[in-house]
Amino acid sequence: MPELRKDPILGRWVIIATERARRPDNFSIQQQESPEEKECPFCEGSESHTPPEIYAVRAEDSAPNKPGWELRVVPSISPFLKIEGELDRRGKGLYDMMSGIGAHEIILETNQHVANICDLTEEHISKVITCYIDRMVDLERDQRFKYVLLFKNYGWAAGAGRTMHSRSQLIATPVTPKRVKEELAGSQKYYDYHERCVFCDLIKQEMDSKERLVLDIDGFIAIAPFASRFPFEIWILPKKHSCDFVRLDFNARLELARIMKKVLLKLKKGLSDPPYNYVIHTAPFRRAKVGFWKTVDEDYHWHIEIIPRLTRVAGFEWGTGFYICPLPPEEAARFLREVEL
Amino acid sequence: MIVDTDHPNKPEDFEFEPHIYKGGACPFCYGNESMTPPEIEVIRDQYTFPNSPGWQVRVVSNKFPALQIEGDLERRGLGIYDLSNGIGAHEVVIETPYHHKDIPDLEQFEIEHVISMLCQRGLDLIRDKRFKYIMVFKNFGAAAGASLEHPHTQIIALPMVPKNAMEEIKGAQDYFEFRERCIFCDIIRQELQEKERIVIENKRFVSFCPFVSRFPFEIWIMPKKHSCYFCHVQPEDLPDFAAILKETITRLKRVFPTVSYNFIIHSSPVNGSDEGVEGYHWHVELMPKLTRVAGFEWGSGFYLVSTPPELAAQYLKET
Repeated sequence: MPELRKDPILGRWVIIATERARRPDNFSIQQQESPEEKECPFCEGSESHTPPEIYAVRAEDSAPNKPGWELRVVPSISPFLKIEGELDRRGKGLYDMMSGIGAHEIILETNQHVANICDLTEEHISKVITCYIDRMVDLERDQRFKYVLLFKNYGWAAGAGRTMHSRSQLIATPVTPKRVKEELAGSQKYYDYHERCVFCDLIKQEMDSKERLVLDIDGFIAIAPFASRFPFEIWILPKKHSCDFVRLDFNARLELARIMKKVLLKLKKGLSDPPYNYVIHTAPFRRAKVGFWKTVDEDYHWHIEIIPRLTRVAGFEWGTGFYICPLPPEEAARFLREVEL
Repeated sequence: MIVDTDHPNKPEDFEFEPHIYKGGACPFCYGNESMTPPEIEVIRDQYTFPNSPGWQVRVVSNKFPALQIEGDLERRGLGIYDLSNGIGAHEVVIETPYHHKDIPDLEQFEIEHVISMLCQRGLDLIRDKRFKYIMVFKNFGAAAGASLEHPHTQIIALPMVPKNAMEEIKGAQDYFEFRERCIFCDIIRQELQEKERIVIENKRFVSFCPFVSRFPFEIWIMPKKHSCYFCHVQPEDLPDFAAILKETITRLKRVFPTVSYNFIIHSSPVNGSDEGVEGYHWHVELMPKLTRVAGFEWGSGFYLVSTPPELAAQYLKET
């Protein structure tokens, strides 16, 4: 019997199509071929192929934009948005426009030609997390920006380019993205009514029922969400309430690195290295101004959403916001729990 | 959404997955009627039998329905979660007996038959009071999510209104209450005046690349006259609608011969969920599958459009 399930935060309904469910191991993919790789501009020694670095973790005696680095952040060669200029909001008839001001940076997560972040060590992944945090903190100082969206596209079908070199991207935007606003509004609404954080409640329920639990390590859990849009969608959440990803302390960064590595390795092993996206969902910059969101500290809870690209997303699903998930999250979680590392 | 005005993508810049016919046994082809569930509705020649050859348009239930038709809707809670059993209808409208004929290859009267069949099914499903929203959409090509290559349109009847539809309707309704005009009528007026985003226009319909495109070469087709429900298309509207649908997709395929695409018919909710829809205006959203939607779009709800709609309209107009 298929089920209609409602996302407790966004209020979005999804169909969990149990009847037509394929077995979990049948999802390893009919991928479209990715085009051939060219010479990698992101490896150590190719620093001149990228724009000058914004940030780097490098050996003390090494010079910027030269070898000797572990992690490097460079501006995108084909930025969606431009860093220079003033925001210029204007109208044209019915329509509203503004100039495309923003920052678009590429985080090169290793100097080696390694494709998947889960093949790096836990210590190294925790350095990547520190790098994410440092960039976010730095961009918060720019008064024009309201939000930093940090995400990864791994594999061609997930929107990555030709080069299979582990990297993430961040985009700082002058407006809070709609998708983020909806999540904030949904959490606030729940908090207004229950005086509890919806994510904290969700974590408690998932830890009790265990049906959708993939991993529970130290201060974090990984779950297949109740109203999954995609097969093997996974969320990683900190058990302790916090709205802001950048407040993670040193130990928590190591713990997050550990669970991320495990989850992504399970996907890689269990589903034959599928393409995936992940996005860090965190609170917007909180600057005092009119209409400032005062309660975000209490009502929002940062987390990471991972979506393996195992099925084609039809324009239909993007267009309607209505998803049909062909695999119940309970089965996805059980399958992933059983993948041995 | 973000439009790249400095380095716009030209049609040849897109690297999309081409739609190639693979063939093989097809349950939607002429003579294979027994491979589908029995037909619900059909346009067929006189003196031919149901579920046998002799048809032009055929409607069957989806063999792998996402929702099931029997039973009462039972909503329930599970801790903090809400769910219900999956009541609904999931039908397939087979547009033509011919495997290789997409809309551009059909005659205008054949397309009229398909459209009137869609309306007829919609009206019939609305009679079932459990259904609050009728979704009509087409996936053409594997890249656009079609699991069968034989051209078909799908109808899903839902027991609730999808969130995006609700938001769009609410947006339109807010505008309507504030200005006492329909926002879509205003959009049509502005587009017809500025002309730069218009693809084609006939007496009763207009197709254009919307100012707020989410995808490159996204096209909307709209009736010029205000109307809330697609199913209420009048017989006198049919020829113009069929003509503009055919012409628009033909032009899209001239620019991108092997493109996969989706279209979705956006219409008002029904059966008691349609309060305050007078400000809504039904329309078709046509989205060619030219790009891979990635982390940024999905995480932010922002869309990056590499070809400004004005330029896309120009390509489509001049092709």
